Amino acid sequence: MRHIENFVLNLYPSTKLMLPIFVAISIFLVPSYYYAYMMLPLCMVIALLAGKLKEFMELVIKGLLVLVLFIFIMQSIIAPGEEILWNWGIISVKKEGVILSLTLTSRIVAIASAFLLFFRITPIQDIGQALEKVGMSPKFSYAIIATFQFIPEISKRSKVIMEAQKSRGVETEGSLLTRIRAFIPVLGPLVLSSISNTEERAITLETRGFSIKGKKSHLYEIKKSNVDIAIQIFTIILMIFLLVGRLLTWY
Amino acid sequence: MSFIQIRDVSYTYPNGFMAVKRVSTNIEKGEKLAIVGQNGAGKTTTVKMMNGLLRPSKGDIFIDGLNTKGYTTAQISKRVGYVFQNPDDQIFHSDVYSEIAYGPKKKGLSEEEISNRVEKVAKLAGIDRYLDENPYNLPFSTRKFVTIACVLAMDVDVVILDEPTAGQDYVGMAQITKLINYLQKNNKTVITITHDMEFVVNNFERVIVMANKQIIADKNKRDVFWDFNVIEQSSIKQPYISELANSMSFESKILTIDEFVNYLFNSKKKV
Amino acid sequence: MVLIQARNITYKYPINDGQSALKNVNFTIEEGGFYAIIGKSAAGKTTLCNVIRGFIPHFHRGDLQGELIVEGKDIREWEMDELAKKIGFIFQNPFTQISGVKDTVFDEIAYGLENLGVEVSEIKARVKQIINLLGIEHLQDKNPYELSGGQKQRVAFAAVIVMDPDILVIDEPTSQLDPKGTKDIFEIIKLLKERGKTIILVEHKIELIAENADYVYVMHEGEIVHGGKMEHVFSDPKVLEYEAGLPQYALLGIEVQKRNPSFSRIPINKSQAEKELKKWMEKQEVY
Repeated sequence: MRHIENFVLNLYPSTKLMLPIFVAISIFLVPSYYYAYMMLPLCMVIALLAGKLKEFMELVIKGLLVLVLFIFIMQSIIAPGEEILWNWGIISVKKEGVILSLTLTSRIVAIASAFLLFFRITPIQDIGQALEKVGMSPKFSYAIIATFQFIPEISKRSKVIMEAQKSRGVETEGSLLTRIRAFIPVLGPLVLSSISNTEERAITLETRGFSIKGKKSHLYEIKKSNVDIAIQIFTIILMIFLLVGRLLTWY
Repeated sequence: MSFIQIRDVSYTYPNGFMAVKRVSTNIEKGEKLAIVGQNGAGKTTTVKMMNGLLRPSKGDIFIDGLNTKGYTTAQISKRVGYVFQNPDDQIFHSDVYSEIAYGPKKKGLSEEEISNRVEKVAKLAGIDRYLDENPYNLPFSTRKFVTIACVLAMDVDVVILDEPTAGQDYVGMAQITKLINYLQKNNKTVITITHDMEFVVNNFERVIVMANKQIIADKNKRDVFWDFNVIEQSSIKQPYISELANSMSFESKILTIDEFVNYLFNSKKKV
Repeated sequence: MVLIQARNITYKYPINDGQSALKNVNFTIEEGGFYAIIGKSAAGKTTLCNVIRGFIPHFHRGDLQGELIVEGKDIREWEMDELAKKIGFIFQNPFTQISGVKDTVFDEIAYGLENLGVEVSEIKARVKQIINLLGIEHLQDKNPYELSGGQKQRVAFAAVIVMDPDILVIDEPTSQLDPKGTKDIFEIIKLLKERGKTIILVEHKIELIAENADYVYVMHEGEIVHGGKMEHVFSDPKVLEYEAGLPQYALLGIEVQKRNPSFSRIPINKSQAEKELKKWMEKQEVY
């Protein structure tokens, strides 16, 4: 069961959403890559407070590290520039390239880690419930939650389907062309059986009273507290402050 | 030399779970055999190694003298056909004909050969009247016959059936029996994983019993179903009629209704 | 007390996608009874389940004729949400019978009660109770997607039973399960029967019906062609003409009777078979 008493985790979904919004906007208002790189430690502190630091770091390392390193190296080498920092044969690293890649990667790291953290600390069910509270139809929020829950299933299903298709002679190993050719026999059953399953899923939902009119209850009721409102107002003021500062220093 | 040779094969999944431990057996061309045992006993892992979906962690499997390790599953599939338990894992055409024709087409047969073959196997699988239908509009039990027909159309030497009787009624069961007999008549090897002991009694002679990752018995069905050690160790069920004969202390290893009735009337004469 | 009464039901799906029609179906379901429906594939068993649960005509369109009275009120007049509380429904495919929006089995079982708007404290108490009843404590924190077929099917039962319906319509619940999974499901069905629920079960595993059901209806090409007390139906060779199957013990009895008509009572389960055969053998020896 969910919901352990934790200050960060118990915040309202829209409050938590303030983090990625704030990060995404502020890194463009404050152009320094030092600032943008500081967003990762900020996220780490929040993750620590939420007791999710380990999971969060795993995601960052697995998902971001390779990408960032790749972009950094490519940009440093390819970008044109005058000031050569280091030379090896035809490869030369220029200062302009390094600065450009620092800026680019700092922004990717900032935005990606803020969103990764947001989805780590916000159960998708809470997002759905919050959306319903602002008037979205339960059918729509069901679709969103079900889709997110189904994503890990898709990779499992495709593995099984891949095996079934290999067993009937579809070559899935080897060159890129072979792999592309194997795409339809693998994707086909995934899509077709999902479609044929929707009716059964609809019947399942009907038996669980999905379409019953009237107020539904929630095992984990999300509530907006004064703290939430305070944090949201504070974040908005902070963003306005940064915006004004940016406009004043515009030259 | 046996057609399929399984030599001291073990399999450990990448996560460290050992599913099959030191399994050895030989299977001949044209033989039909059932593999029984509880879920998790290692049955599916064993047959997946026979068609190359899994590579033995230890030991070797030879099909017609060729080590499966040297070939991809797609290559092995020309010799070994595998019908998955869930037909929805494989069907991707919008009509039954194209679905069955897919394999022969890949083999490079001519249009005429393909259409002859599709019609023949569809008839065998009892689905010839559905050739123009969308497979997903057919009931689950009929979709299963579509996937069986796909394997038949490949004209393979070995057919592996994973739980063919699940969800089948008496008519479907009879159809499967017919198919197995047809395959055997054509010198194909049929290997079936099943939980249905009445199905085993009616269709197979040789039975392999797996329990706890290993083969614990590999013998004639009569010896398997009257070996109470094996039954207890593997938690399989004795056929209903054998159970009855056993609790009535009949002095014969009875498996079928016919045998039961014959025993009953012969022993009566003696009295 | 008569709970459900069907009179001359005739129905055809609007689009024929392999599902079968119903022709002039009549039957009665008494409160607290355990009814099994047997028959070969495409005999109309699932369609009949859909009518009883009200998916026909509320969910599937098509022309429904005749009447189906549930507690004195025609199925057309029932609201879908009332039916959700009255009649639970469980079907064949364990993989589609989860809501798809819950992370744990506990939450999955609670889903129906959330939709009914039950108080959270009561939901928790009722879910716990059902989990204990079905002995699935070890599953409660698992993700429903990660369960085996048999486990999923048990959770599907729990999620329906927790809503406390009076009637359960169960359509081939074990056809995708192994013997262990099948046994677990029949334990649950027995439990429901003990609790006085009315049960309507479609099932191919005849021997298991013979151990549990009170009444059997035989369907063939959209019609109910035979029906009555389970012992009567299962000892009647006529059922074989409809390719609906009989228990192994009955088949044995029929064979014995063919060879010697003095074997008069067709057994339906193991203990009956043993008793009848012994009795008959003794008599034979006397003469």
